[in-house]
Amino acid sequence: MLEIRHLTKIYGDGTVALKDVSFEVPDGEFLIVIGLSGSGKSTLLRCINRLIDPTEGEIIWNGVDVARVQGEELRVIRRQIGMIFQHFNLVKRSTVMTNVLAGRLGYAPTQSSMLHQFSEKDRKMAWNALKRLSIEDQAYKRASELSGGQQQRVGIARALMQEPKMILADEPVASLDPVLAHSILQYLERLNREDKMTVLCSLHYLDLVQRYATRVIGLREGEIVYQGSKADIRAMTDEEFKEIYGEEAERVGGGLEGSLGNGKGETK
Amino acid sequence: MIEKPKTSPLQQGETRKPSLVSPPVATLASLLVPGMGQVLARYYRRGLVIFGSFVSIIGLLIWRFGLAARYDTGIVDIFKKAIYLQPFLLFLIILVVLTYLWIAVDAFRVAKHAGGQPVGVFFLILVVFFSIGWQIGQIDLVAMTTQANQAGPALSRVLWPWKRAISYPEEIIIGKTTVEAPCAEEPYVPGEPDVSGPYLKADPTCGSPTVQSGEAGTLIHLEGFNFAPNENVEIWWEDPIGNEFRQRQEGAYVSVTTDENGEFEVDIVFPYRLLPPAAGEGPLIWTIQGRQIASIGKAEPSTELKLAIEKIIETIFIGMMATLFGIVLALPVSFLAARNLMSASKFTLLIYYLTRGVLNVIRSIEPLIWAIIAVIVVGLGPFAGILALTLHSIAALAKLYSEAIESIDPGPIEAIHATGANWIQTVVYAVVPQVIPPFVSFTIYRWDINIRMSTIIGFVGGGGIGFLLAQWIRLLDYSAAGIAVWFIAVTVAILDYVSAEIRARFI
Repeated sequence: MLEIRHLTKIYGDGTVALKDVSFEVPDGEFLIVIGLSGSGKSTLLRCINRLIDPTEGEIIWNGVDVARVQGEELRVIRRQIGMIFQHFNLVKRSTVMTNVLAGRLGYAPTQSSMLHQFSEKDRKMAWNALKRLSIEDQAYKRASELSGGQQQRVGIARALMQEPKMILADEPVASLDPVLAHSILQYLERLNREDKMTVLCSLHYLDLVQRYATRVIGLREGEIVYQGSKADIRAMTDEEFKEIYGEEAERVGGGLEGSLGNGKGETK
Repeated sequence: MIEKPKTSPLQQGETRKPSLVSPPVATLASLLVPGMGQVLARYYRRGLVIFGSFVSIIGLLIWRFGLAARYDTGIVDIFKKAIYLQPFLLFLIILVVLTYLWIAVDAFRVAKHAGGQPVGVFFLILVVFFSIGWQIGQIDLVAMTTQANQAGPALSRVLWPWKRAISYPEEIIIGKTTVEAPCAEEPYVPGEPDVSGPYLKADPTCGSPTVQSGEAGTLIHLEGFNFAPNENVEIWWEDPIGNEFRQRQEGAYVSVTTDENGEFEVDIVFPYRLLPPAAGEGPLIWTIQGRQIASIGKAEPSTELKLAIEKIIETIFIGMMATLFGIVLALPVSFLAARNLMSASKFTLLIYYLTRGVLNVIRSIEPLIWAIIAVIVVGLGPFAGILALTLHSIAALAKLYSEAIESIDPGPIEAIHATGANWIQTVVYAVVPQVIPPFVSFTIYRWDINIRMSTIIGFVGGGGIGFLLAQWIRLLDYSAAGIAVWFIAVTVAILDYVSAEIRARFI
């Protein structure tokens, strides 16, 4: 259970990114955050794993106020929250394997990991993660040699290495084409359904939101302007969507027919 | 110098206000003061540029005329003399007059708004400037082409200096005898010669030296034995006070060639020699020497070659040490000079600007000048060179490193942070992989530059092969200089290749 209470973030230059945001996310939810760029989606997600320190408010996750913890305690919380980024944020010059193993750094002892040494168990886990995302044959390529969709899958594999209870996905498909967008979101959906991970994902394509969300939050200028259940969002029209969203709202097009959900990645 | 049109000609026709004066007036104004007509036609910038250019052209011309005829006074005299000495100045004058007239024409055209903006006048001004440059640079293509062959001998020695790279060990063989001067009452008998080596026999064994007034000295018949066959022998004297000098006769040094038995005969005149009173009075003993230079042993590397090898090794190490110190010192400095790391507060930003400023100053001064300063501090030698190159390397590397740090992608850092990694793990996994390749690349590049610089840092006393090269060039020893040049060329070529290889692996 994740509970956000009166979360406010004001940046050093005075920009108010989040204004008294409160909501709850029960475990196992696929929550999609929608909103224009600059509406505070990224800030919200980054506050949850404290890549950004909130100015005020509480982030209660499994009974712990994430906004207050420091040092080792914060690291332990962080390693249970996987994060996926719009631009993948892989170390491009390192191999896929190294990038995936980096997901284990929160668990690995500092000294051996500095020398790029990981336990046999960790390596096996990395292989399984790569297999699950069907990119095991790319394991020893440089990350920069992979296509965008493959890089995002490496990003997911890295997150999986953390054995996370929750996944934060900041615009995970914004740099990908529509077909790949479905493919990536299906991986997330599978993690959500099969592995019971809570997923918090920011998106801005209406049809993707309708297809994957179990709950939706709409942000505008740092404030929550919309909260809807699965049923609400299914019933939503383009006009309503545009109301929260402004004119930038768009459908990804193609629908589900164009996407490829293959079962190849399943190992469990 | 060329005016940048802010808007297209068409728009200018619409927006530009009409000329203040009529075209003929503008022309007259520009004849009076070049550029004034354009200003009056509301082409202010154009007019000012023309005026400024014309004034500088006139100033430069006055300077060049004064320089060409520096001993003359009076405008006419100076003019005549300068043209006489340097006819090119006449061409310049014609060009300037043409430009002056064209400026007037240009004034007419812009005042009339005759479509577009003619750039011919600026082209002409440029031609004038380049022509003045030709005159200032004393460019002399005739001398260059007709005297090129004079470089031949020196150049051929530089290009193929290897004869100078080997030498044969030599030994001077001396055969001696003694004579007395002036003759004593008893005839002088020199001691028995050592017949196991070369020796001389003189006849007569006494005589009188040539006197200053011109009366020739005694003619002595000299015979030599046991010398190396078919080789040159020089005749030398040792006077009673032990000074050695060579026998001269009829304005030339005396030298004879031995026959196949190693023997020779020659007649020499007892030479003139001013002896100090301390030499004493009465009969004195003079020694005659027959000297032969004989090669013994096999060919071996010459002193010059050995020196060049020693110094090229020193050169490479100067470059290496300077690079090493440069890296070690530039690394910490580069963090201070990286804006993304230093923009946290006003204080750190101040440090950033200070560091950047100091680095820029150090970098803008050539290593050769630093070497001159270093020589003052630590004296001649390789350490001065290392100091100079280190200083320059720090400044250059710190700038390049800091730019590499500034350009790293923050995304991976964020991502690694999010996995729960600690600070050191984040640096190892997100920062280092991004920074290493440019660092290696810049460092190798700098190493390359340092080795090349270290070859000439010796010109100002900074050690290395440059010191030898400078010396040999000044001694006109082009063959030895050629050896140094070859060493430098080969070293630089090899290092170029090696550094390119290493860099290719890291990028």
